[in-house]
Amino acid sequence: MGTELTLVSVGIDIGTTTTQVVLSRLTLVNVMPGSQVPRIEIVNKSVLFLGDVHFTPLQGRSRVDGEALRRIVAGEYAAAGVTPADIDTGAIIITGEAAKKDNAADIIHALAEYAGDFVVATAGPDLESRIAGKGSGAEDLSRTLRLRVANLDIGGGTSNIALFDRGCCLGTACVNVGGRLFEVDPLTRRLAYIAPPARLVADALGRQEGRGLFPAPTADEELARIKRCLAWMVRCVDRVLFGERLDCDEQPLVMSRDLPAGPPEAVVFSGGVARYIYQPGQKEWWVHGDVGPLLAEVYRESRAYRTLKVLQGRETLHATVIGAGAHTVNVSGSTVTVSRHALPLRNVPAVYPERLPGGYFTWRPAARAFDPALYRTVALVVPPLPDTDFTTITALAGDLAAELADIPGAPKVVVAQQDIAKVLGQCLRRHLKDGELVCLDGVPLRAGDFLDIARPLPHEEAVPVIVKTLVFAR
Amino acid sequence: MALEDNIRIIVEQVLAEMAAGNSRPGPAPAVAAEAPPAADADDLAKIDLQRYLQVPSPVNRPLYEEMKLATPARIGVWRCGSRPLTDTWLRFRADHAVAQDSVLGEVPEELPAKYDMVAVKTMCADKDEYLTRPDLGRKLDAEGLAAIRERCRKGAAVQVIVADGLSSKAVEANIANLLPAMLQGLESMGIQTGTTVFVRHARVAVMDVIGEELKPEAAIILIGERPGLGTAESMSAYMGYNPRIGMVESERTVVSNIHKGGMPAAEAGAHLATILKKILDAKASGVNI
Repeated sequence: MGTELTLVSVGIDIGTTTTQVVLSRLTLVNVMPGSQVPRIEIVNKSVLFLGDVHFTPLQGRSRVDGEALRRIVAGEYAAAGVTPADIDTGAIIITGEAAKKDNAADIIHALAEYAGDFVVATAGPDLESRIAGKGSGAEDLSRTLRLRVANLDIGGGTSNIALFDRGCCLGTACVNVGGRLFEVDPLTRRLAYIAPPARLVADALGRQEGRGLFPAPTADEELARIKRCLAWMVRCVDRVLFGERLDCDEQPLVMSRDLPAGPPEAVVFSGGVARYIYQPGQKEWWVHGDVGPLLAEVYRESRAYRTLKVLQGRETLHATVIGAGAHTVNVSGSTVTVSRHALPLRNVPAVYPERLPGGYFTWRPAARAFDPALYRTVALVVPPLPDTDFTTITALAGDLAAELADIPGAPKVVVAQQDIAKVLGQCLRRHLKDGELVCLDGVPLRAGDFLDIARPLPHEEAVPVIVKTLVFAR
Repeated sequence: MALEDNIRIIVEQVLAEMAAGNSRPGPAPAVAAEAPPAADADDLAKIDLQRYLQVPSPVNRPLYEEMKLATPARIGVWRCGSRPLTDTWLRFRADHAVAQDSVLGEVPEELPAKYDMVAVKTMCADKDEYLTRPDLGRKLDAEGLAAIRERCRKGAAVQVIVADGLSSKAVEANIANLLPAMLQGLESMGIQTGTTVFVRHARVAVMDVIGEELKPEAAIILIGERPGLGTAESMSAYMGYNPRIGMVESERTVVSNIHKGGMPAAEAGAHLATILKKILDAKASGVNI
């Protein structure tokens, strides 16, 4: 019988509006029978501690208050009764508007040092959409119901779309449509702040109507105009979701758009605004100091809501943070080659080779794109080989070793897309002598992915790997 | 009596119909012409079963494909009445024949020399005796014992043994990739190996006899597994610390399912080298480790 391993994974979601900490327990088990080569899989994910939802602390409108954020995280750790030493892995996701703030990068790195040994600093709308779809349960629903399911995670600053088809993520999109793009004073119920994306919308509508929308003469008129803006925004999300052309006014709202053709069959809503989509009738729409409940109302009129099958996942409000804590971790193959002190590693870019005539590969040109001053090392991806014969692998190891000598960075990281990491690592070791080496398999990678590699599991060779897919908005 | 009469009547009718049929270009001669198997008949064994969709118009084709790809088992094969289709049945028999060939076939004579192995055989005179007398498959014949004493290095850290076992095909398919990968791995860890021995008509426990003779610290036997209908090329590796006559089965560490569809041979070789290192470090194997 295989022994069970558990990992404590932390997820910290720093969104436009709210910040939350969640601790999950991942149970890993060798699923293969005794006489076979072990295969470690995550068999259970459970939430250990769900922190309070805090407002993301801001200094002014453009700076996240790092010190206040640190206090929030420290408070949550204390409430959960854990210390950074107890945390095995995890991810910090800075999302939506917060990721665009000037100092976001500094903050996440400062927090990563605090929040645990290999907690991960991450941002990017593509990954966020994916994580939200996993955390909400849309991915599972698409697998069990055999459907093409879109997850629409609607937060304060953005609506993140992830499309899942029978358990596979086919693509994502991120649109600047969220509940906190208009802020209101809860006492006077009047508009207090218009975030830049909302300003774009108001200006576009204003041009159509031949006058500025805000300020509006009366409170009722202001509300009506906000609703018109929201309807315009939601129409834009519909167009992205259904793969339609956008007006030139709408284009600036779309941060990324990488969805395959063909509409989804069902939709799952998650995120703060989604609560009011599933539970409508919030009369006091101003309670949060923003227009979230109003946006939910408008979403109930959207084409997505009216024409698609509307499903509810197991998690609505906390989808992203739970996804960050529990769904970002993969486990590598069990037969791998890892130098003892080479791990953990963070933010290692995956480098796909160019194929030369004669079936050879070269990684050098692609690796040059990554400045050695910014990246400690790069991960060379070995695409599937036509066969896994020993001679093929020794030849490959020779080529790889020659290339590795010219590619800066240590330890040397190689990720095979077939079950050959042990033998390839062994062959590479002969060439590299004493250099530190990490040779993995069992982790599917695409060009543009970044990796965090944690320390090997106790008594096993397999290592937890977090694959981060970052698609930068053009 | 009535039954016999009925049969006679039916036979007479059929004969009459056939006679009538002969007078015009009926189906009977046509069938006769097709009867000998055409030279270009499709080789059923070449079909990838996991991509072969036999259900004529599946309600949910993508799901059907996914389920087929999820398992090498023969699922979703459709039917004719209550029976499987002819090609399903023929393929089943073809795979069974491959398995039998693998059991009954012999590893080519020249293979051991190619890898500098000392070739010996057990006390089994032939395959039939091998299959019916497991006890003899665990003992070397006098000639074999002599060859080992004369030609093999004694007292190595690891003694490698290759054996046909129940699948000669497994040896042919895997050794070329497994053995060099494993030997390279052992060498890079500074582990000395003895002279590799090839044993024909062998059972796993032949390791004990060879261990008794050569006194290695540990031994590994790479042996063909009993073939199934999925693959006939699967190989297992049994490893024992201090191999000797009388050691019990629980003292052996085993890695099975080494073949193209399981763990690739080269990767398995590297993996086995690490396991042998662990065995030597722990000075134990099997459940004792």
